[in-house]
Amino acid sequence: MEELIDKIKRSIALSPEAEEHLISISRKKVVPKGENLIRQGQAVNKIYFVTDGCLRSYCTDKNGKEHTLQFAIRNWWISDYIALHDKELATLTIESIKESTVIEFKAKELNETHKRFPEFDTFQKHLLERHVVSLYKRILNQLQLTAPERYDLFIEQYSDIEKYTRNYHIASFLGITQESLSRIRVEKSKK
Amino acid sequence: MKALQLVKYGEIKDSLSFNEVNKPAVQANDVLIEVKAAAINPIDKSIILGYLHSMIPVSFPSTMAYDVSGIVVEKGDEVSDFEIGDLVYSRVPQEQMGTLAEFVAVSSAAVSKKPGNISFEEAASIPLVGLTALQSLEYAGIKANDKVLIHAGSGGVGSFAIQYAKAKGAYVYTTTSTANVQWVKELGADRVIDYKTEDYKAIVNDADIVFDTLGQNYALEAFEVIKQGGKVVSVVGPLDEESAHMFGMADYKLPEDLAKACSAKAAAYKFIFMHPNGAQLAEIKSMIEDENIKPVIDKVYPFSESIEAIEHLATGRAKGKIVMKMS
Repeated sequence: MEELIDKIKRSIALSPEAEEHLISISRKKVVPKGENLIRQGQAVNKIYFVTDGCLRSYCTDKNGKEHTLQFAIRNWWISDYIALHDKELATLTIESIKESTVIEFKAKELNETHKRFPEFDTFQKHLLERHVVSLYKRILNQLQLTAPERYDLFIEQYSDIEKYTRNYHIASFLGITQESLSRIRVEKSKK
Repeated sequence: MKALQLVKYGEIKDSLSFNEVNKPAVQANDVLIEVKAAAINPIDKSIILGYLHSMIPVSFPSTMAYDVSGIVVEKGDEVSDFEIGDLVYSRVPQEQMGTLAEFVAVSSAAVSKKPGNISFEEAASIPLVGLTALQSLEYAGIKANDKVLIHAGSGGVGSFAIQYAKAKGAYVYTTTSTANVQWVKELGADRVIDYKTEDYKAIVNDADIVFDTLGQNYALEAFEVIKQGGKVVSVVGPLDEESAHMFGMADYKLPEDLAKACSAKAAAYKFIFMHPNGAQLAEIKSMIEDENIKPVIDKVYPFSESIEAIEHLATGRAKGKIVMKMS
């Protein structure tokens, strides 16, 4: 929880009351490898802040294949925002790909925090902007970079992620086949 | 729900019928799978023709096929490993045969989550051949650097077995016909023997393991190429004594020539009767997700053309698996 409080304090001045409130609506949770926090097709009402480990959100298409949307490592937020915003059942599954620790919030309680503590508006605006920036970058990279360039950026962003992800997690995140990913790695190892 | 059922033993198109039947009931340890894809195997043809009526008696009508992939839509009270909505695959137990239908109830012990990187159709192609190959080669104690001969590399079991043996670090010989040499090589076999132009017995010697998927004399001939103390495993050859006793044939003795061959090479002979196993399917799931094994599909048919699909299977010309996709 300290990581999250520190992170928030970097964006806004957090009063002791607000800090206490945040702690009161949060719950620390250890998620063993392979466990799902959110499952496609089920109701979603929680948001997670990752303090350790790595989670992956993915959707399964009608043919049964998984497509990775996001990896969430330390200090990242993760949920199914489509389901939360549009009040629909989950489109995504969120699974822990190594043992992870998350701070769990009920989305409704977190969203209502600003009513008692208006300074949270600023924090939530920062959070949303950061999320939009990250999505813009991901879309632009997908549109204009070559597969090896996208792979380089990915490794830069998630430095030791290859130790615990499976190749198809990364390939489906980059939008390439597992064969292409292997080829890119072989080319890189020659350099 | 709709199901493809065997209504009598006999010719394929005369013996099968699309019927409207009740959705299967779920027992305490079962999951109900909404079928997305089902695959057929040579055993389905043998059942239809009545060749297996003494070993695997079926009542009429019976819904056909064993391989399935789909979505868990219901579960029994004692099922804890699966949730509604899980994407799964299975080779269903004999008493639950019937994957060519809109739904199938399956003991959860025979089910695994499906590999995430392949489609429902590809996943359905795996269970029976995958478990057969894994159980055979595991029984033979396959390990790195073993010399392994796998007969019929282009068949469903053979094409999986080549990839499995390579993943375990073995040196793989396989036999196939001229037309299949190239793609079987691409599965990873180290030495593909074109049986139309080459004699495998002149090429393979001192093999640690021979995996017979052909029957006839191949089990016996295996002892000509096996090393002293090696292992011959077969899924179609004569029963071994232990397996025969399991089927209630108390007085069964291994054929004399086979017994002599075993003894001359101090080698073991084992008939492998594949059994459903969800934990092993989970192991195969990991191997597929890591691309150590890729599904090999000949053709995908719509469910409504299942009878044509089984007739195609019966020609024996398929390269890889034949799969039915539910709409």
